[in-house]
Amino acid sequence: MKKLLAIQLFLVLFLAICTQASDVYFDSRWTLWKDATILIWAPEGNNPVNTSDFCLSLRRNNTGIGEPKCRELGEWERDTIAQRYGTWLANNLEKGLPSAYLRARHPGMAAKIQAVEDNIVLYLNPQGKFIQVAIFDETAQEPKTAGIVKANNDKIALGDDIASTFFSKRTKRRLTKEERLKQQTEPDDLYKEVPNLRVWAGAGIGYSQAHFPLTPDNWTSSHTKSRVRNYRITKDSVSLWNFIEDDDAFLSLYAGLTWHGFIGIELMYRYSNRDMKIDKADTVYKELDHWNFGQHDIGLNVLLSMTYPITPWLDITPLAFLGFQYSFYNEDIELKDGVKKPSRAYQYRIQFEDAYKGALIGVGGQFVFKKHYGVDLRAGISSRGRDLYEAPTPDAGKAPTTIGKSTIDCFVSMGLEYHWTL
Amino acid sequence: MAFKKSILAIAFAICMLAGCADSYRWSTSHPSYHKAPYGSIAVTGIEDAFVITRSSWFAKSLEISKDSIQIKGRLHCKNVFESELRKVYANLTVIPDSISRSSPEESLKLDERIFIKGHIPEQGISLKDSAGNVPPVVLILHEFIIGTDLKRENFFDYALIHNESGSIRKPDNVSAIFSYTLWDNLKQRPLFSAVDELQQPITTYKLNNLTNLIQLAVQKIQKNLYAGVTK
Repeated sequence: MKKLLAIQLFLVLFLAICTQASDVYFDSRWTLWKDATILIWAPEGNNPVNTSDFCLSLRRNNTGIGEPKCRELGEWERDTIAQRYGTWLANNLEKGLPSAYLRARHPGMAAKIQAVEDNIVLYLNPQGKFIQVAIFDETAQEPKTAGIVKANNDKIALGDDIASTFFSKRTKRRLTKEERLKQQTEPDDLYKEVPNLRVWAGAGIGYSQAHFPLTPDNWTSSHTKSRVRNYRITKDSVSLWNFIEDDDAFLSLYAGLTWHGFIGIELMYRYSNRDMKIDKADTVYKELDHWNFGQHDIGLNVLLSMTYPITPWLDITPLAFLGFQYSFYNEDIELKDGVKKPSRAYQYRIQFEDAYKGALIGVGGQFVFKKHYGVDLRAGISSRGRDLYEAPTPDAGKAPTTIGKSTIDCFVSMGLEYHWTL
Repeated sequence: MAFKKSILAIAFAICMLAGCADSYRWSTSHPSYHKAPYGSIAVTGIEDAFVITRSSWFAKSLEISKDSIQIKGRLHCKNVFESELRKVYANLTVIPDSISRSSPEESLKLDERIFIKGHIPEQGISLKDSAGNVPPVVLILHEFIIGTDLKRENFFDYALIHNESGSIRKPDNVSAIFSYTLWDNLKQRPLFSAVDELQQPITTYKLNNLTNLIQLAVQKIQKNLYAGVTK
């Protein structure tokens, strides 16, 4: 029973597809002019629509079309070259065939299509139960759109069908002769010379964290979950993230320049305020009001970039950067009011190095609007480590390890910038 | 350490070679090419397509006088091509070149830099054989170049066609480079076009070696006509 129902359903669907009045094979964006002149080309000479009725159909189906003019394209119907192409097109117009395969190869035919100017050629060819429809304009040697509509002896109904299937799009005002000439000689909006030097300065905000997205937690959990006991004790001191908060927002200021649109250099400064990861359970901290570090990064990046002008008002510049940075930590610690003498642990608390040297690597993009106003997105990895390389000595094993020898995090940032070209 | 360095150098070289390796597409099929011809076909272009380069070498090897090598060689190639094709397609129609070569020469794109040139029939006009019949599919042989140690990219890649060939030395191979189109004569469209290359190692070169080369070419064409069918 179910099977029968399925077959019935299939039949109904099949019939619905078969009886569908029209089918558009492809449609590349073509311009439908207001007050258009439609030249109807029926290569076999049997025009299935009435030209004046078709004009009325157009006006009924598209209120924006104004006052279109329609006439038969007799000069093509009488021409051998056009007639051959017309027959050929009738044979080759198939569903699923890209328009490039329908190109008119004969130079005479190509010249005819180019001479159409701002008129629209409507190819109509009755083929049994259907009528093949194709539309040409001067911009291409192949149909801009093509399809079929169901044949109908009622010429007005057929005209309505064609008009609603192929001519229902928005119209554009037709240009005058002078405007057409001017448009031909108009400069290309996207034409642009690469400036010798592009300079920018900006300010932004960002976020950095020690845990890399999409990596297992246990890669970094020994750093991120660490707590400091007794002002100095952690499990491991190889990373600064064992001591201070590893996920925080930062502010950045930066300025840079790009030379000949592909290589650049950028100076940047970042500031973030990081709380100490103190172990709240440790009673020694009862005396403490707050303890945090201001993190100052100063860095220099080398950038490689490429600019793509997307529209006249937007340039997109994907970039990759590689640089180095120095990080300084500025301690801010305060005891509670009323604590006269800090504990011994307070006096022997952790000390960071004077400066850490590290590297930055990442990718990003600058979106420059109206040539001056930029939005900058970046993502990358940065590191902080020991400042100087020291040759290993036999005593190296005994020497205490440097705190924060390998401090790595990743970051994303967004900035607003102003651009100049020199 | 030196070992590590050399490994790196080799890895780099492999990357470079792989990056520069030729990635030409030597054939193209029409989206509507669904069925390769079977049993019957028409052929055209075979009178004028054959060109023998290095004619003096061929004249010496084949013991034909130098001033008639082109004429005799061509005729031989044409006859072999035709009879070999007849073995595959029992119902073979030969359309004289004078009919198919009346249309202007056009180029047909196979790949970004690969174009074949040939006399492609006009849209809307079917080719007719001398009896006036219209064969449904026609194999158009555009060019068939016979020479020694030739490479097809030097003939069909427009960036390389102006390269001079190297100094003449003792040849290793006899090469055949041939371009052809399977033409849908009813709908006037190219169903399948390709450029093929054959290399035949030389020991002593006689006329039956040339015969064999043409036979191999026909077999290759037939194989490719099947392989090119759009599924």
